[in-house]
Amino acid sequence: MTVSPPAASHYLRLDPRAKLYLLLLANLVMFFHVSTRAEAVLVALVIVPLLTAGRVRMGVRLAVTYAVLLAIGLWAGAAVMDGVGTAGGEQTWVHVVGALCVGLRMMLPCFITGAYAFSTTSVSEFVCALRRMRVPESVVIPCMVVIRFFPTIIGDYRRIRDAMALRGLATGRWSLLRHPAQSLEFVLVPLLMNATMVSRDLSVAALTKGLGTRGVHTSMTEIRMRWFDWVAMVVCTIPLALGIGGVL
Amino acid sequence: MSQPGSNPNSAPTTTTPAKSPASSKRGLAVPDLITIGVFSALYFAMVAVATLASTLLLAGFGSIFLPAIAALISGCVFMLMVARVGKFGGITIMGMVIGLFLFVSGHFVLSFIASIVFPLAADLIARAGKYRNRIGLLISYVVFSYGLTGPILPLWFMKDAYVASLEARGKDTAYIAGVFAHINTGTFFISMAAIAVCALVGGWFGQRLCAKHFAKAGIA
Amino acid sequence: MSAQLADKSTAGSRTHDELVLLRDCVFAYRQDAQGYGDADNAVHDQAAPLALNHDNLTVHSGEIVMLCGQSGCGKTTATRLLNGLIPGFYHGALSGSRTVCGLDGDTADISEYVPLVGSVFQNPKTQYFNADVTAELAFACENMGWQSARIRDRVAEVAHRFGIEPLLGRRVFTLSGGQQQRLAVAAATMLSPQLMVMDEPTSNLDAVAMRELHDMVAQLKAAGVTIVIAEHRLAWCADLVDRYVLFADGAIVAEYTASEFRALSDERLRELGLRALDLEPYRQRVAELAATAHDDTAESDRHSDIPKRSKINAQSQIPLIETHHLTVGYGRKHGQFGSWFSKRMQRGQRSAFSRTIPDLRLFPGQIVGLMGRNGAGKSTLVRTLCGLQKPLAGRILLHTEPARPSALTRAGFLVMQDVNYQLFSDSVREEVLLGLDSADEATREQADEVLRDLDLLQFADRHPMSLSGGQKQRLAIASALMSGKELIILDEPTSGLDRRHMMQVGALLRTLADSGKAVLVVTHDDELAALWCDSIVTLDDACSLRALDSDGDGQRWIV
Repeated sequence: MTVSPPAASHYLRLDPRAKLYLLLLANLVMFFHVSTRAEAVLVALVIVPLLTAGRVRMGVRLAVTYAVLLAIGLWAGAAVMDGVGTAGGEQTWVHVVGALCVGLRMMLPCFITGAYAFSTTSVSEFVCALRRMRVPESVVIPCMVVIRFFPTIIGDYRRIRDAMALRGLATGRWSLLRHPAQSLEFVLVPLLMNATMVSRDLSVAALTKGLGTRGVHTSMTEIRMRWFDWVAMVVCTIPLALGIGGVL
Repeated sequence: MSQPGSNPNSAPTTTTPAKSPASSKRGLAVPDLITIGVFSALYFAMVAVATLASTLLLAGFGSIFLPAIAALISGCVFMLMVARVGKFGGITIMGMVIGLFLFVSGHFVLSFIASIVFPLAADLIARAGKYRNRIGLLISYVVFSYGLTGPILPLWFMKDAYVASLEARGKDTAYIAGVFAHINTGTFFISMAAIAVCALVGGWFGQRLCAKHFAKAGIA
Repeated sequence: MSAQLADKSTAGSRTHDELVLLRDCVFAYRQDAQGYGDADNAVHDQAAPLALNHDNLTVHSGEIVMLCGQSGCGKTTATRLLNGLIPGFYHGALSGSRTVCGLDGDTADISEYVPLVGSVFQNPKTQYFNADVTAELAFACENMGWQSARIRDRVAEVAHRFGIEPLLGRRVFTLSGGQQQRLAVAAATMLSPQLMVMDEPTSNLDAVAMRELHDMVAQLKAAGVTIVIAEHRLAWCADLVDRYVLFADGAIVAEYTASEFRALSDERLRELGLRALDLEPYRQRVAELAATAHDDTAESDRHSDIPKRSKINAQSQIPLIETHHLTVGYGRKHGQFGSWFSKRMQRGQRSAFSRTIPDLRLFPGQIVGLMGRNGAGKSTLVRTLCGLQKPLAGRILLHTEPARPSALTRAGFLVMQDVNYQLFSDSVREEVLLGLDSADEATREQADEVLRDLDLLQFADRHPMSLSGGQKQRLAIASALMSGKELIILDEPTSGLDRRHMMQVGALLRTLADSGKAVLVVTHDDELAALWCDSIVTLDDACSLRALDSDGDGQRWIV
């Protein structure tokens, strides 16, 4: 999740709630097994906001991946159609590849919208959206902490590995796998010790800055649904509706 | 809600109540929520490690063992979180936060539902043991571990989708269904059983580590 | 402002400009999990001592008051009464009347303190709550329910006031400790508090960052904000403080005005267990040590208490470690978790870094100080010397033989600033035996001996994490001694320590050196460097290196 909102950005970015709606749509497409055509149309549609948000490379990469999977899936389908008389073993192979590609392709709409939501939403927008959707503070606060604490875990892990190397503990390439329980203990104990200390210090910092205050907590970041949010939501719903209705 | 323990006593000597069942009834305060957040992040990191491990070990379809591997290594995180929070709601919120992050990062929406239902059940089980009973916590952890089945559920839709796509072209699917029959039921049961076994082992290991280190150091 | 305060006031006896009024306050921490790993760990080691012992403290509006005293003296506890963390977060038996900014300490909820009292804590890494700078500034205002336009204006105003606009929008995680601490001060002033409480704000800062913090405090003082600082390091804001309050064993034992305090001799300060008020003599000594090769006769007698220097004549010895044309640094790093999530967190932040290091020689028996501001490459150099990362160019010789990183890792040990990462076992004895044959009787005896030497034997069965900070540090060193390390490197071993503990660390370094180890200490602490180091290497920006060898060999930099 990006941290800083590109404040003076000229890119067109959707409201976080619109992004969540797109995510839900992508999930429904997978859930209802709508036709491949409807799915492809939806993918093409959700790639657009990714491009307008300035994530051109990511958008192109995902689009190409989808196209390749789609092509292989269609080829496998065609091969199965043609190869009625061929040996069973070969068919099984084609089936496995085909099923794998179809399966991965089906998960891609979710993945694309997820990548879009994740990479174009700032933390404060995310938190603001959660609060606007009346998610209780008891969920919002842990979410903020997760985002805050994740980089700390990575830094801690590096330092613990350094300390282990200095002590000659679990050194070598495969040592972590050779003594998994022991290695897990060596990594987890300092990691969790530090985590409990950080959670205490964060509590202190949060309490002195009023996180425990009763009443409405506002956000500096303003989010609002604008016309293009509604347009995006309606347009992206069309392929799903047509797909379920069996038109597309 | 989420108020820190304010002290209503205005007597010259105010003694805050000792840590006891009395204080655990007050609900989750800000420090508890922060603890939950920190441990959710750790659990999320464990899931990331498990994803990596299952992908490397069993390339591709290995991800069906993702919940099992995660259950194997996250026991300590769960046990310490429960020991630190010790109130109803902690386990549930941890599951919800994980589910939310999985959903936002593009996982199947059902994973969100699974990660509410199972942790809620786990929370109720742990509460029955007042968050102290070792057996109760172990069972609670096993149930909690099923909350992570969400991300792998789509794997079982895949076959259906493939078959459906062929059916749509008027193909007889009896043969294909046969090919994938063992992938469907067989792997499903293996995967589910693996979660239970791994969660038991991981939970036991976590409890052992908690007793050995965190209880002894006085932080659990 | 003060008139409004007087209206709110419930304590009739006090005049309107008394912002803080503590009367007969007694407090003892409850022995529970919350106190774990505390800065004043010594407090928790004893059996329920009084952290505050019948204390009376008055702070007037607009004053800067410095709370000083040795570790565990109760000064940190006193700050917690001022920002409501006692009894709002830290629990225990509390009595006495407390009035802060018109709030009655017995009835006020911790959230009522928020708009009135701003708090800055010791560790810059753990006191920000948001992942990015702007959000951290906005945080307190958001919690107060301000409208977003007002928050934006306030963020811009405060950022401009303290000159931290360049940091806006950046990830707090990627800032230096000094920048993080400036952010912490700025964030604490967002709600325009009447009182600022700082608990050892400089213990992790270098000289430049301390200067910046000084300037922020000066600005706040000019704006009429009342400031209470609990500190070991007294020099950084000596020109701003109006009053010094001395704590000992939980009780306030003396109060001095600034001029009275300045009149105290260095000896008197030392007797009181306090750090120096004037660092200039120490800085000069550091400069001398950095400028000249070590020479026993050149010993300055300016400090009557300068401990004995190394007896081993360095030049006659074979260096343990030598470096030749060393360049340290790193290229672009990727997350070790391999997940795209972690990569995203790191992206663009860890760009390539490289620094050429003057040739070093580290001798057994010597304590070498490695100084220089943050970001000068000290920690990268230290990691390279320990073999934790490969040098980008140049060679490192161990016992005059070129050494691979793995050999360096076997020979060297790094005591990290945060020593918690280095302790893995469930008892002190197991910790020193880790990786060794614990069944061997001789090994066990040697372990006990090392523990006895380091004053740890009585804790042999305790969990390492239940020890105090200094004890953990000694335990890490004990583990290094047991595994036969020859080079001991310490990263900021005296951050946040009072004078007595600093001197203890210094004496320990000397013991290590006298037992034939080469000791390298990375430090910002002028007092430690001046009093205990045999020579000093200064690693600064743009290679302004001063550790020039006395025999004039321009390429060789003596250590």
